[in-house]
Amino acid sequence: MSRLVLITVVLGLLNSTFLNAQEDKKDLVSETFSSVRIINGNSTETLKKRQWRYIIAHRFGDALGDQGGIQTAFGFDNAADIRFGFDFGITDNLMVGFSRLKGSGPYRSILEGSAKYRFLTQTQDNSVPVSISFSGSVYGTYMPSSEDISSVTYFERFAHRMMYGSQLTIARKFHSRFSMAIMPTYVHRNLVQPTDVNGLFSVGAAARIRLNKSLGLIAEYFYNIHGADVRDEYENSLGVALEWLTNGHTFTFNFTNARGFGELQYIALTQSDWLEGQFRFGFSITRTFKY
Amino acid sequence: MTKTNFFLVFLLSVMISFGFILKSNENTSEITLIDEVERLSVTEVEHALGAPLPNHYMKNYDEELAKIGEQLITEGKANYNGEKGKVISPYFNCTDCHNLVKETEDITNLNPQDRLDYAVGNDLPYTAGSTFFGIYNRSKYYNGDYDKKYGDLVIDARDTLENAIQLCAEYCASGRKLVPWELEAIMHYYKKNELEVADLGLTNQEMKLVNTALNREINQEEALTLLQTSYVNRYPATFTGAMPENKRSYGSKGNPENGEKIYRSACMFCHENSRVTYLNLTDDVLSGQYLWNHREGYDDLSVYQVARWGTYPITGRKQYMPLYTKEKMSDDQLEDLMAYIKKIANK
Repeated sequence: MSRLVLITVVLGLLNSTFLNAQEDKKDLVSETFSSVRIINGNSTETLKKRQWRYIIAHRFGDALGDQGGIQTAFGFDNAADIRFGFDFGITDNLMVGFSRLKGSGPYRSILEGSAKYRFLTQTQDNSVPVSISFSGSVYGTYMPSSEDISSVTYFERFAHRMMYGSQLTIARKFHSRFSMAIMPTYVHRNLVQPTDVNGLFSVGAAARIRLNKSLGLIAEYFYNIHGADVRDEYENSLGVALEWLTNGHTFTFNFTNARGFGELQYIALTQSDWLEGQFRFGFSITRTFKY
Repeated sequence: MTKTNFFLVFLLSVMISFGFILKSNENTSEITLIDEVERLSVTEVEHALGAPLPNHYMKNYDEELAKIGEQLITEGKANYNGEKGKVISPYFNCTDCHNLVKETEDITNLNPQDRLDYAVGNDLPYTAGSTFFGIYNRSKYYNGDYDKKYGDLVIDARDTLENAIQLCAEYCASGRKLVPWELEAIMHYYKKNELEVADLGLTNQEMKLVNTALNREINQEEALTLLQTSYVNRYPATFTGAMPENKRSYGSKGNPENGEKIYRSACMFCHENSRVTYLNLTDDVLSGQYLWNHREGYDDLSVYQVARWGTYPITGRKQYMPLYTKEKMSDDQLEDLMAYIKKIANK
């Protein structure tokens, strides 16, 4: 809790320090990333006021390895995770969202509520050198409780069904063709295995190279920070993607070892290993509307 | 000098002095009147000189309603009498296409280059629509070729300001019809900002003509004609269609410096940071190459096409691009714009 207070105070100070620089919107840098999400992590982009966005995202099974190859059409026979959701722009810098995830790993039938606030936007004159946003997500599963008392899906109390993710994204557009982001992230689960940790820190990094106005290449990696004696079976998440931006739609075609969507899953629950062929094809389609 | 002569000289002196006093008073009186005439409503003066009142004539405006009208025009939503207003259009505000102030020094000047220079000099957007400045004084709307775009919808809007506003709100802005108090508020805003004689930029001589016509009922027809030709009563609108490919120079005959003015004050007014549309434009090489690569042909992505035809609202994407008539952007300016696009595309 004290960390949260500290973060809030620091963000508040940053906000007030640079607030004056944000008054003239004409000087703000736009399209640091093309969508509100990079591959898995949150970008500093937000929906504008009165915009809403529909998301369909799909992640298939392992492309190679024991579960992949020709017999599963390189993973297309399987669905690791599926996301349907809506995001809404409350103001030009504040958006909220609601999604339903199929769920991968131990959890199924996950509902996600999220909010993102961009409190700093990079300016063209570099008086504000980066854009910064803070995202928070709440996850709840409505899957039936396991009867196995040793399982993390044995929900003795309602709180055991709840998980949380918060992410700070610091991004900079260095050039019209090149942007980078750093994403310190914290994921909290109320109930975990003895070999796991309730609170997990991770630091993500992402870069995008734009080939032209419509196409861009993205790479994203999250490094989880924990003691050496826990989480042996988990991997860090690594993804690469091709994004295609049209007038209203954004398509992202990606390969990643993360099976699931949301900070809960791609940070805390990734077990697949790229080197064993356990990466998968995925895509997301978003369509933005105004209301 | 006899007493009689002395009396006659005295009487003559008094008469001459009185004459001077009278003349002096007459001059003072005229100056005062000219000052007053400058502040008079053009509509009222025209009516005093024999012109009929417009069908949207209002004697006075209400300050509070005029403020609400301004809010509706600039923000697209306002509250009234404790009633929470609804957004007229989620896609456009009036000011996305219309300025509220004059767009050239001489308000009768319709030259697009002068309009552009004035916009740049006064930090105004170079919009596709005509300014609302003096709209109360106009008698015709959706003129010229606008029937090609809106068909029979323009019939009722062409000679009635209230109908023109409703057409704009419902169709041009992809919104809804205004409720009565919203329409009334906008009319009060227009009335508040109607032209005064001083706005017409008349010379002293012309002011005297108007003043004399008004006060002494001399040369009233001439004065009325003078007033009516000192502002734009109806904006012409000529749709040219896309420039044929064989006539395009693709910027080679254009002036990129002038094109930059158009790009910044017209294109980026709506496209910067995707303000009105989803297409984000900056002055970087990616935006330049995007527009340059689509320069040929006649689809929506060609600047030659989209500037002249605009785009149309479709289900799920009601924000569209309005077209620029010949009067609002010349073919030369279009080539200037393309020259700038060529420059930022590094071609």
